[in-house]
Amino acid sequence: MRGRVDPAAGPIFEQIADQVEAALARGELRPGEKLPSARALAEALRVNPNTVIRAFELLEQRGISETRRGLGTFVREDVDIEALRRRRLRAAARRYLKAVRELGLGPEAAEEALKEVKDVT
Amino acid sequence: MLLELKEVAKRYLRTPALDGVDLEVRGGEVVGLLGLNGAGKTTLLKVTAGLLVPDRGEVRLLGGPPRRARGKAVYLPEQNPWPAGARPAEVAHLLAGADPGFDRGRYRELLGFLEVPDRPFAQMSRGQRARANLALALARRAPLYLLDEPLAGIDLISRDRILKALVHEWRADAAVILSTHEVGEAEGLFDRAVFLKEGRVVLDAPVEDLRRRGKSVVETFKEVLA
Repeated sequence: MRGRVDPAAGPIFEQIADQVEAALARGELRPGEKLPSARALAEALRVNPNTVIRAFELLEQRGISETRRGLGTFVREDVDIEALRRRRLRAAARRYLKAVRELGLGPEAAEEALKEVKDVT
Repeated sequence: MLLELKEVAKRYLRTPALDGVDLEVRGGEVVGLLGLNGAGKTTLLKVTAGLLVPDRGEVRLLGGPPRRARGKAVYLPEQNPWPAGARPAEVAHLLAGADPGFDRGRYRELLGFLEVPDRPFAQMSRGQRARANLALALARRAPLYLLDEPLAGIDLISRDRILKALVHEWRADAAVILSTHEVGEAEGLFDRAVFLKEGRVVLDAPVEDLRRRGKSVVETFKEVLA
């Protein structure tokens, strides 16, 4: 996980949960793997351990992780990585489209620019 | 409730330092006590520690007055309280004899974690002195820690070490009130922020709620205390 939170960018526990999802979507974290302990993660991020515990609770509600008593928090084996990846891709696409609209351009220009960039790199 | 302050007021000569403060702190909470210099932060901590008696109002620590809850609130003053010629080891020896809550094993661990050098306070940098004093304070087992500006005026590396140590030493049953006017680095640590202005609590809110409304604690600080 890329350990960084921004206190000006909304609740920190949501940011931590989002970073766990991002790590899963990128393949840096896999189903069945153990997450760092709340305290270790809290220390690395310099945040209150309660905040990390709240993040783990949110991930559990979303069906992404599960807590095994005495063992720690694990990524669920049945987590739908593809769905996570698509959701994040759509979010990235929305951000891109927003930037395009701010330039006064439409979806056609967005698609064209994507093709151009793809051809170059 | 671990700590309750009701309508607490304190004056120095004719200047009010605290002007009707209400505050409640539960076990395990980390409370950021935020305000500009002269807002009353130190007075509030001293009243809570039982070092000052309020003119008006009531302070209850574990259900009784702080003076009767000896050893239950560990107060870390902003300035080094120990003789300049003393070494931390000598102070630790003294504390271990005076406070049954002083945990030598934990102290040794904290010395390493905070990289406290073995030399007299007078020969330490400000950052080293702050780290030594924090080690001495956190080695005392207590339900409440009152830390007065532990991050003020010290180098960046020491500040970061202190923050890391505070997370490392965090316990679900102990509460911390940390006063600071340098909010930025510390805000991730807080459960709640209490903003003090001219001796009054002007805002008391869970920090994640402030962020939900789109404002960091730093931004709220500027807004509320400007």
